[in-house]
Amino acid sequence: MAAPMVETADLVVAGGGIVGCAVVHHLAQLLPPQTRIVLLDRGPIAGATSGSCMGHLMVTPDTPQEYAFTATSLALWRELQQQEGGFDYQPTGALYLADAPEDVELLPVLQRQFRDNGDRADILDPAQLRELEPGLAPDLPGALFYPGDGVVLPMAACASMLRHAQRTNPNVQVRPDCAVTGFATDGDRLTGVRTAQGPIATGSVVNTAGVWAPELTAMLRQPPLPIHPRAGNLVVTGHHSTPIKTQLLEVSYLRFAHGAAQVDPTRTTGDPGGHAVNMQPQTHGGCLIGSTRQFRGLDRTLNRDLVLRSLARACRYAPGLRHAPIVRTWVGLRPYSVDKHPLIGPWPPVRGLWIAAGHEGLGISLAPVTGRLIAQQIAGVPTAVDATPYLPARFLR
Amino acid sequence: MNAAADPGAGRVLDADVGVVGAGPAGLAAAGSLARAGLSVVVLDEGQRAGGQIFRQPSPRVAGCGAAPPSHRRGRGLLAAFAQSGARLCSGVTVWDARPGRLWFEQAAESWLVRCERVLLAPGAYDRSIPFPGWTLPGVVTAGALQIMGRAGVVPGKRALVAGSGPLLLPTVAALLGAGVQVVAALEASPRSSAWRALPGLLGHGGRRAEAFWYLRKLLGARVRLRSGWTLFGCEGEDRVQRALIGKVDAEGRPRRDTARSIEVDVVGAGFGLVPSIELGLLLGCRSRCDPRRGGHCLDVDGEQRTSVPTVFAAGEVCGIGGAEVAIAEGELAAAAIVKDLRGVPVPPALAVAAARERRAADRLLGCFPPLPGLCDLATADTIVCRCEDVRLEQTRAAAALHGRSLRAIKVGCRAGMGPCQGRICGPSLQALANGLPGQPADLPVVQVPVKPVRVQTVLDAPRG
Repeated sequence: MAAPMVETADLVVAGGGIVGCAVVHHLAQLLPPQTRIVLLDRGPIAGATSGSCMGHLMVTPDTPQEYAFTATSLALWRELQQQEGGFDYQPTGALYLADAPEDVELLPVLQRQFRDNGDRADILDPAQLRELEPGLAPDLPGALFYPGDGVVLPMAACASMLRHAQRTNPNVQVRPDCAVTGFATDGDRLTGVRTAQGPIATGSVVNTAGVWAPELTAMLRQPPLPIHPRAGNLVVTGHHSTPIKTQLLEVSYLRFAHGAAQVDPTRTTGDPGGHAVNMQPQTHGGCLIGSTRQFRGLDRTLNRDLVLRSLARACRYAPGLRHAPIVRTWVGLRPYSVDKHPLIGPWPPVRGLWIAAGHEGLGISLAPVTGRLIAQQIAGVPTAVDATPYLPARFLR
Repeated sequence: MNAAADPGAGRVLDADVGVVGAGPAGLAAAGSLARAGLSVVVLDEGQRAGGQIFRQPSPRVAGCGAAPPSHRRGRGLLAAFAQSGARLCSGVTVWDARPGRLWFEQAAESWLVRCERVLLAPGAYDRSIPFPGWTLPGVVTAGALQIMGRAGVVPGKRALVAGSGPLLLPTVAALLGAGVQVVAALEASPRSSAWRALPGLLGHGGRRAEAFWYLRKLLGARVRLRSGWTLFGCEGEDRVQRALIGKVDAEGRPRRDTARSIEVDVVGAGFGLVPSIELGLLLGCRSRCDPRRGGHCLDVDGEQRTSVPTVFAAGEVCGIGGAEVAIAEGELAAAAIVKDLRGVPVPPALAVAAARERRAADRLLGCFPPLPGLCDLATADTIVCRCEDVRLEQTRAAAALHGRSLRAIKVGCRAGMGPCQGRICGPSLQALANGLPGQPADLPVVQVPVKPVRVQTVLDAPRG
């Protein structure tokens, strides 16, 4: 009697958000077209964090390393737009807005960071600001305009990456509603994945499950990955209601987001990130308002107080927003990594296990560079950016 | 400056009971509650009380034609309600709710009702089934056309009414009353459905009189209700000029060989109703899926109490059943609330009456089961989601890549993410996208605001 047929794959990518899609996209380009790659998600593709976030493509200039990583990724985004498109890419640039005097002082600091990296950013006086964005309040003291940022529709971007991957490699399979239920190992070597739709024999798994990445490695009895859900409340207004056409951020955002502030992810109250607002025009003319931060596990109920604070801040900057209809509010969960850097690379205790997760609020921005970095590591070719700062093994020391 | 520092902008109403909806269920309940000595606030979307079925004609137009017999009952309810002392807030949008709290917007002002009990009687929506040309000007839902007929503002002279179920008749009657020629009235269910419905109609005093009244209306105007026919599509330059009609099989699949074109300038399509359960879901009420009663409806006990102890529900939100059911359930819900707040027992006759009406309605609607084959009316380039302009082929691509769940299809093509939040396309979206006619839709995820309101309204909202 023949043994039952077990599906085999060269690589299984577990987690169909933007990072998983970018990993598949780059694996398909880098590995030969007969490579069998299966992308799994326990829910819809782009149904969790990537389907409930803002889609801001953001260059962060804090350090040369950060700048290079984000700027490289944005270049890859523009490449994808050329290759495939279809994800509402808008090169809007970003306006960092100041309100309080201490925030005005942050503008030249931020400008210098961009300049130190050989890039440009312009400080706008109130008149220049009004000229660029007539919908802003007349009494704003100034802003910094950085032309390099952009906006994408993340769910459509996931689809775009997968379309391109499947054209490059017809052996790429995409399987939504297919949760990983366990792993098979032989000593310290991974030999397979058990899924809701049956087992897959494979020697390589990339954990791209974002907020849920620790759950997956826990199935392999690994120490907990230092990734914690950080909730954000979002609001979107109706079509043709946006008073702005640029991606807007309060410059005070820099004090809270992306690791600037010291926070304790095990505390569920008192996260200081709740105050800075982030506003984004949508291609249909709606305005996305967001960027609250709160640690409270996987809870996705709306925090009405934080939403009110965001709306009040947004109306402070763009008073016309008061009359816009709110269509929807929701909560997304960012995968926050405790040292504020994503985990990208092999997980040495389990041979064949790779991790690409923990991007907090920069998952959309950093997905392409992440996908390329891990694909280059898996393919065993030199990496285009230094992999060292992102190696997950740093947490094993 | 933030909203928290400025909490006084919105206004607060305190009442024993907050009622959502001033249709038959809400009116019957609010009248009973107020007569029992409870303070009642009724929140209604319409400009005047009555709901869809007992909608009062606009005061700007003379009454358009005679009203069916049931409207005598409606007028009675309205009169009793007006004298009961219940407070009516018309033209409002209820956008957020918690047990004992209802937030609403009225004329750009933000309000909060604080109450001991909430009664949900928000009614139902028209079920939309996409067909080619359904987004052309001049093509509306049967419900909308009925409203236009009653108001005497029908945008055309030659009308086609198509769909399924007992509500086609009032639409035809409203058009005739407004002096519009009804070129064709098409019932998609087979003729046997109507025959099976007959005993239910004739055995129920109210419905018998109602049915005879409508049939006389149709006969008088020489309008024939054709069973087993439906609308395949609409065509026109800037608005509808022609409709393609033809026969369908017993499951509703179009028989393209029978198609023929007729000249019309206004079309009403009504394929039944869908319960309006969003507020109930937001309040945390349990729901269940009952395809014969319109899909997902709120689950209530024998006294109309939902799974949330202080929230009651009556009428279409508990499953499509019509005005008689709504009135009986509204009265029962009111009695149960009076029991809760005043300790007066519920008269057993009320529960018996509500159950009897529900059974009769289930029998009648059971004669017009859902017709899954109507999914075949849409073609690849038919718009499925009007808010976001999403075509059928895009929903299919989304389902193929992102997954088959409602959430997957939404994230995959933005269908259902616009201002209506899937109220129009949601009930048929999954069946269409997955190519699985008859597939019941997943329960929608409901988020605040339940319906769009201004940012300022949310900022001004009084804290609960």
